[in-house]
Amino acid sequence: MNDVVTAVLIVVGGAFMLLAGVGIVRMPDLFMRMQAATKAATLGAGCMLMAVAVHFGELTVVTRALLVTAFVFLTAPVAAHMIARAAYSVGTPLWKGTIADEFRCENDRVGQSAGETSTAQRANPAAREK
Amino acid sequence: MRMFLWNLLLALAWTVSTGQFTVANLLVGLVLGYFILLFAGRAIGYSSYFSKVPQVVAFALFYFGQLILANLRVAYDVVTPTHYMQPGVIAIPLDAHTDAEITLLANLITLTPGTLALDLSADRSVLYVHAMYINNCDVEEARRQIKEGLERRVLELLR
Amino acid sequence: MNLDDITLLEGAVMLGLVMTGLAMFLAFFRLVRGPSLPDRVVALDLIGIIAVGVIAAYDILTEQPVLLDAATVVALVAFLGTVAFARYVERRQQDE
Repeated sequence: MNDVVTAVLIVVGGAFMLLAGVGIVRMPDLFMRMQAATKAATLGAGCMLMAVAVHFGELTVVTRALLVTAFVFLTAPVAAHMIARAAYSVGTPLWKGTIADEFRCENDRVGQSAGETSTAQRANPAAREK
Repeated sequence: MRMFLWNLLLALAWTVSTGQFTVANLLVGLVLGYFILLFAGRAIGYSSYFSKVPQVVAFALFYFGQLILANLRVAYDVVTPTHYMQPGVIAIPLDAHTDAEITLLANLITLTPGTLALDLSADRSVLYVHAMYINNCDVEEARRQIKEGLERRVLELLR
Repeated sequence: MNLDDITLLEGAVMLGLVMTGLAMFLAFFRLVRGPSLPDRVVALDLIGIIAVGVIAAYDILTEQPVLLDAATVVALVAFLGTVAFARYVERRQQDE
């Protein structure tokens, strides 16, 4: 019984990681790459660590597995948020299919050196090629 | 908080008296201890702990379901050749005020695939979120979904 | 190894290792290719998380729970590296 649960968790975790890998290659812009990659991989790592916990079943191993899981789930959003904010503030282009950018309308970005073209393009994201 | 310590103490007593120090048994002890404290409530005084625990469990289940659903939606988009997403950066006016509320909300938003907290405005009243699925270009609807779904539940939990 | 001797668990772990290895290759592709610096940082972060998964799978294959400590360290280093890179991306922009 334990073996079956472990096997399922490992395969599911591996599948999520593979999805993250495909996502980071296929998605058209940085933000969507992060959406597809970081979170699916976090869930995959969580699944695999749970598999370790189920497989060994001893208190020392389970607590450590839970600790690593909690750590990964706490730090992943923080890291993602920090890269996203940095990338946005240096003017990483958004995908041409982006339909709204309310942040751009209300704030001037820190990175002014991105130039006039970038600013003009961002005001009308739908009309812009990547 | 003190109630939680009592609960933990009862759980430890349970594991010691049954002689099996495993995680599953500790969980059984925690659940038993919770109900013992609940029934003893009249003698030791009621506390908000009893109403908080079911709330936390319900929220964890709700969020986990959301996490799986959103992951599958993004996964479907990744695997199929056409891109279905309609991404955009939307501004969400916040009802959350304290640091803890905003941090928890932003982290939960970022952990869900499809939404990503970008930045907080200087007066801490607006959170900018990059959302991947804005159905039919309806920005108001996407804003409402995050506000009614996640923010309301987080605030219910913390207040 | 004889194919008949593989148990369900071993097969699953090997399948998981194959999938994580493939994912790591794809992330590495993005790391090499990535048009901008933030793209490469995201790829590096992803590689760190995948490494945690690989260590967890290898843990089960070799029956060595000690390796979990390595997973902790990898997760920690990946997080700190990502945060440092994010600061660097922002600072580089301001200095120019």
